[in-house]
Amino acid sequence: MISEKTVQNVLAAAVSTGAGFAEIFVENNCKSNIAVTNGIVDKANSGMDKGCGIRIINGERVIYVYTNNMSEDNLIRIAKEGAAAIKGDTEHNITVFNRLGISNAHPVAVMPDTVEKKRIVDFLMQGHSRAMAYDSLITQTGLSYLDSVQNVLIANTEGLWAEDERVRTRISVSVVASNESEKQTGYFGPGALQGFEFCEDLDIEAIADEAARCAVTMLKAENCPSGKMPVVMGNGFGGVIFHEACGHGLEAAAISKRASVFTDKIGEKIASDKVTAIDDGTMPNQWGSMNIDDEGTPCRKNVLIEKGVLKTYMTDRYNGGIIGMAPSGNSRRESYKLVPVSRMTNTYIAAGTDKREDIIADTEYGLYAKYMGGGSVNPASGDFNFAVNEAYIIRNGKICEPVRGATLIGKGSVVLKNIDRVSDDLALAEGMCGASSGSIPVCVGQPMLRVQNITVGGRG
Amino acid sequence: MDIRTLKDRLFESAEKEGFESCEIYYQSGSSFTVSIYKGNIEKYQSSENGGFCFRGLYKGNMGYYFSEALDIDADKAVKTAKENAEVITTKDREFIYKGDKEYPSVNVYNAALENVSAEQKIQAALSIEKYANEYDSRITVNRSMITSGDSYVYICNTEGLEVSEKGNHILAYAEVMAKDGEDTREKGEIWIGTDISELNEKELAESACKKALSALGAKSIPGGALKTVIENETFADILSCFLNSFIAENVQKGFSLLKDKKGDRIASDIVTITDDPLMEGGYATTAFDGEGVASCRKTIVEKGILKTYLYNLKSANADGVRSTGNGYKGSFRATVSTAPTNFYIEKGSKSKEEAISSIEYGVYINDVAGLHSGTNSISGDFSLAAEGFLIENGSITRSVDQITIAGNFYEILKNIDTVCSDLKFNSSAIGSPTVVINGIEVSGE
Repeated sequence: MISEKTVQNVLAAAVSTGAGFAEIFVENNCKSNIAVTNGIVDKANSGMDKGCGIRIINGERVIYVYTNNMSEDNLIRIAKEGAAAIKGDTEHNITVFNRLGISNAHPVAVMPDTVEKKRIVDFLMQGHSRAMAYDSLITQTGLSYLDSVQNVLIANTEGLWAEDERVRTRISVSVVASNESEKQTGYFGPGALQGFEFCEDLDIEAIADEAARCAVTMLKAENCPSGKMPVVMGNGFGGVIFHEACGHGLEAAAISKRASVFTDKIGEKIASDKVTAIDDGTMPNQWGSMNIDDEGTPCRKNVLIEKGVLKTYMTDRYNGGIIGMAPSGNSRRESYKLVPVSRMTNTYIAAGTDKREDIIADTEYGLYAKYMGGGSVNPASGDFNFAVNEAYIIRNGKICEPVRGATLIGKGSVVLKNIDRVSDDLALAEGMCGASSGSIPVCVGQPMLRVQNITVGGRG
Repeated sequence: MDIRTLKDRLFESAEKEGFESCEIYYQSGSSFTVSIYKGNIEKYQSSENGGFCFRGLYKGNMGYYFSEALDIDADKAVKTAKENAEVITTKDREFIYKGDKEYPSVNVYNAALENVSAEQKIQAALSIEKYANEYDSRITVNRSMITSGDSYVYICNTEGLEVSEKGNHILAYAEVMAKDGEDTREKGEIWIGTDISELNEKELAESACKKALSALGAKSIPGGALKTVIENETFADILSCFLNSFIAENVQKGFSLLKDKKGDRIASDIVTITDDPLMEGGYATTAFDGEGVASCRKTIVEKGILKTYLYNLKSANADGVRSTGNGYKGSFRATVSTAPTNFYIEKGSKSKEEAISSIEYGVYINDVAGLHSGTNSISGDFSLAAEGFLIENGSITRSVDQITIAGNFYEILKNIDTVCSDLKFNSSAIGSPTVVINGIEVSGE
């Protein structure tokens, strides 16, 4: 993408005022998407993002400059402009790069640019037809496909030279059910670090059915009651609770500022014995995986919480440095336009030993949150909120009537201690996570679990 | 390659490929950000960036291609756009616009801002942090930040349109944390303008501190249907989540409950909503929209009656009306969609204090969380974690958190009892005064 000589010259300019470290991130990202609304192809777009970011670190000072004018002269000019904000005394000798040997753990069978657009359209139409046929209450569908092929090169003044290619494919299926006055939506968004073979292997009809079923069920549901009650959360996207309520607080970016409730808690019991939580960027072809992170550190499996005890944080070079921890393969960014920070990859609560049937049967009264929606958390207080897309009342150990409009609110640190059942049906689900370094693909995940007591907001 | 040379090559190639007409939309800009933490520069960023979108009509369908790089193979780009056009099946026609006779003049560029040095911006961020630290010993400053940027848009097509606009802005932000024992509260305050001399660092810092300190000690309250005051910016944020239903394209596709409601009452008669791209000092002020259509001010809801949806050329054609100039390109990458500009609820006459003084028992909401997850933009249902204050006998008595407010946006619009005089815009250019709503479902302890 850019010659070794150019990289050397740019890095030399970046540390020309004595900064301790400089890094260049070069990216070329080819993307395309197609959208089908109500069975009509109304959007097809494709193109390329290409540019380069230069990061200069001296002590706690971070300078970031980026451009998509990739001429060597311009890169040296902006590197010097950035270096001007630093006065340091480190000397560098950037003569040889150590090429990081990467064995690709995420094979791609069918590159997106080899797939005829007509095939993608046919695939989406299959989902549309299936959803419309599900029930007469289904009134609209929206399906979309997107792919991206991101090539990155990361080199730094410590001699690192690392390259990676990330091929991602994702589908989204949104199905609306309506009656005279209302509409409810069912949604799924499966994706993978894979090419078009992901779609070939995907049962789009089963996904369309499930989205349609969810929309119809919620249309017929009564408003959710409010109050404190036990909540059983379904597997898969239910893991968003851990992602929001705990995961963000375990990112070094929050820890280094002491802005997380989990600061200084390594070795302490922060969750119930039932909770083991893992972030694993190495899972083959998973949506949130990569061979290396965006600082060139190989991804790995990090056990964050083991049987309730906090083991480690997710770190990047800069924030890890502040708290005295090595990079954990979690440094990520949406594009060359953003400074990488510690982020999640595929983050999940590990499988437990309880059985789903027993968890429900042992709940006298509560809420079964089958599919969670999105949520957010205030890292300082740990206050979170989640929407529930599909929920049911549990009464006398049985799943009863569906209810809609439920929100779960509480504090992450409290909920972690209140998880009293964890089943053995771990599943992951794909999403996009937004934070300071942009919107990045992640997986959340968990088995079915129960929280003893949580505030449910609803209108009933 | 410069953009005009590239444009000529693309247009030439498009003609050969059989495109009936085509357009290039180019956008470039630079930005600078400095962020201060504990007296040190924590973040220092500068950037220059740009890219273009080529689009053209091929057998009646619009095909798109975008790129950040300008040194591309024009023939290949045009071929890709053609492939995209070939799979489109929508009957809705998109247009390459011939342009308007006249364009309004707007004031969105302040040349003096170019001369503000990096050092001046660093000093401004440092003083915001200093004022916040001095305000109260319970305050720590998470971040104080200055961002400035300029942008340039150029649209040119084979139908004769050629327009461009240059703009710039500066933004200041303070995020502070108030801590009292284990009780911590984070709040932020933002300022946006085009003239750094109008930035009052002390006022900004203190406003963030006051918000955080006043939230300390908050606890839940018993639930029920309560008289609810929602602060200006907070209601603007809630309004933002339901704007999609005002967009004609969503109405036409059946994604909006405002379908067939033109001329009907959708809000209480004290509610008037305006979309004004020509507003002086607005964050979304512009002379033309993403399709090159001249901007104009329009009333969306007049005294509770829905007057119009927001249109771009495509949706306007489908309804047989004129575009309202709300064609929108989220970036040069994006296909044309529709978006509001400076979109706001017109202010009323009562002050916020007057409104509160007439409430015997209720809540005052000044922050909500979960807007992207706790709202259903189609059904209007929302359920949001909220905080603010308890109102008893006409006065604010204590801070409140760990509650949710739940309801339906369309019902709320009809239940607005008072619109105050304190119109304020959020950073997405959506504005509202503080409003009083009869009976929102609050759930708490």
